[in-house]
Amino acid sequence: MRILLLEDDKQLGPWIAGGLREEGHVVDHFDDGKDALMAAMGQEFDLLILDRMVPGLDGLAVLKSLRASKNNTPALFLTALGEVDARVEGFEAGGDDYLTKPFAFAELSARVGALGRRREGADVSEPGQTTLRHADLTLDLLARRCERQGQPIELMAKEIKLLEYVMRRPGRLVTRTMLLEQVWDMSFDPTTSVVETHVSRLRAKIDKPFDQALLRTRRGEGYVFGA
Amino acid sequence: MSLVRRWLAQFEWLWRSSTLRLATTLSGIFALGFVIAIFVALTLGQRAIERRVDTTLAVLAQGAVVDQASGDSPALILRALDDLADLPEQFRRAVSRGGGTVELHDDLMRSDLWRVLVAQDSRGQPVMVAVPVEDSADAQELLAKILWTTAAIVIVVALAFGGWAGVLAQRRLARINTTLDLLASGDFSARTGQAKSKDDLDDMSQNLDQTAAELERLVSQTRHLSASIAHDLRTPLARLRAQLEMLPDGDGRSAAIEEARGLSDIFDTIMRVARIEAGQGRDGFEPVLLGALVEELAETFGPVIEDVGKTLTLNLSSSATVHADRAMLVQAMANLIQNALVHGGDQIALFVNGRKMGVVDNGAGVDSAQFAEIIKPMVRLDAARSTQGSGLGLALVRAVADRHSAVLQLEKNDPQGLRVTLNFTDL
Repeated sequence: MRILLLEDDKQLGPWIAGGLREEGHVVDHFDDGKDALMAAMGQEFDLLILDRMVPGLDGLAVLKSLRASKNNTPALFLTALGEVDARVEGFEAGGDDYLTKPFAFAELSARVGALGRRREGADVSEPGQTTLRHADLTLDLLARRCERQGQPIELMAKEIKLLEYVMRRPGRLVTRTMLLEQVWDMSFDPTTSVVETHVSRLRAKIDKPFDQALLRTRRGEGYVFGA
Repeated sequence: MSLVRRWLAQFEWLWRSSTLRLATTLSGIFALGFVIAIFVALTLGQRAIERRVDTTLAVLAQGAVVDQASGDSPALILRALDDLADLPEQFRRAVSRGGGTVELHDDLMRSDLWRVLVAQDSRGQPVMVAVPVEDSADAQELLAKILWTTAAIVIVVALAFGGWAGVLAQRRLARINTTLDLLASGDFSARTGQAKSKDDLDDMSQNLDQTAAELERLVSQTRHLSASIAHDLRTPLARLRAQLEMLPDGDGRSAAIEEARGLSDIFDTIMRVARIEAGQGRDGFEPVLLGALVEELAETFGPVIEDVGKTLTLNLSSSATVHADRAMLVQAMANLIQNALVHGGDQIALFVNGRKMGVVDNGAGVDSAQFAEIIKPMVRLDAARSTQGSGLGLALVRAVADRHSAVLQLEKNDPQGLRVTLNFTDL
């Protein structure tokens, strides 16, 4: 993927750029908002990673200008402003995701992956699709029914939501924070092991009775469903 | 029915106006004074007329010689006292009292109202002299009518004017009140919008606007400051995190990352509390059904609680809908559940009862003398020092409660443990 990174911090910028390059992305790194805007206007990128508070032009203003000129490149805000209002501002400006500093690189990487796939429209299934299938697992969202190898599996409401979220992103890293935000609608960390507990319960239902595990833990990073 | 109720409400609203009450009271006193004055004036006027007529009658009697032969003229009856037989009964009764006003059922010589006086004639003999006083009575009546009508008009006008002034003043005061309410609820852009000053109320409005503007400036400054603090603290935390992640794998690395994460969690919570406390208005507030919210929380946290060998029960007696920021309530309840999980016993219950929602546990509880203390930020009671937590949990719950005009209640649970209730009293 070709990524535009706007980050003025002398340490974080190279760290992010380096990490993304290591994962095989092409990164154009800017530390000034105006330069980043000029670049984004003139060239085609697959993803924009914008810091909120940078010299020249705020990341929010950069994205607003781009969206005003019908540029729909997916954008992820990086910010030291973590408050809910700031998040809302970011989404209203046309941002697709929002990551608060400090963050683990794996978290950023997972979200970059998510936004990249969204653009390609590759393996993220159609949002309108109501029956999700992966290997021998079927999840019918309308009937709220789940079965594997033809055996019905009883799931709680949150487990269905959780399974739906990971089934729509097969083979991709899904982090704890992503699940908290998307499945539980919590933009805070409830300290208790909500995600871990529910994932392990879900696993006990969809994986344990069968020989092949579908939902796997990637230690210290998150979860990957399927392949 | 609703129309009547609306009128009643309108009336109550008006009656709360001190100006209107003052105006009404003054009008009332004025009306009472007016009535007394008219009454006194009419009574005194009546007496004065009677005295004048009596004087005239005495003079008339003195200038005449009264005997059997002398007759009545149409406007004067002059008789010796033993010559009253043909006159109506009332005349004789008046004579026995020495005089007075006589009111007849039928006209006598075209008048039914006579003034009678016993006087002496030119020879010193007592005689009865009487004149009709219907004309003067008519005049008196007319005067009374004029006075009463004038009084009625003046009172009505005074009341109407007082009421109108009251309504106007109440409207202006209502605007000041609304502005104050909005300011109190955190909408610092609220203004009365009074441009010109004509009187003390306008002065007050303008002063209020100036104060609100100053308040808004300060709040936005604080907000800006808190954003700067957030940036200045999160950036080095992010660098720390980045550097830790670049270290080679090992036990020290993940422990350090964990510590760094704890640090930023504490900072996040402080920022969140500050943010909620400085919150503006009720943006993002929506109707939230407490029962449904708690059911969802139970589904989310129930397995977590069961996994550590404790039980979670749900007590829903009745559930009200409150106007609230759902995410904030979820976070507040999550904090309470977390507290119960760490400091409480092995039985935790979530409950909703009408507009009350909360968490109860059967743990060691908290000494009731410390209830006020533990909702302050950063306070962790001695007993809790051995267990994890930064002590910010309840401060956040309190901030959320304040933001919703809800009351945060801490009580001893029977037989043991702590019961924390968020009571949404505000309707």
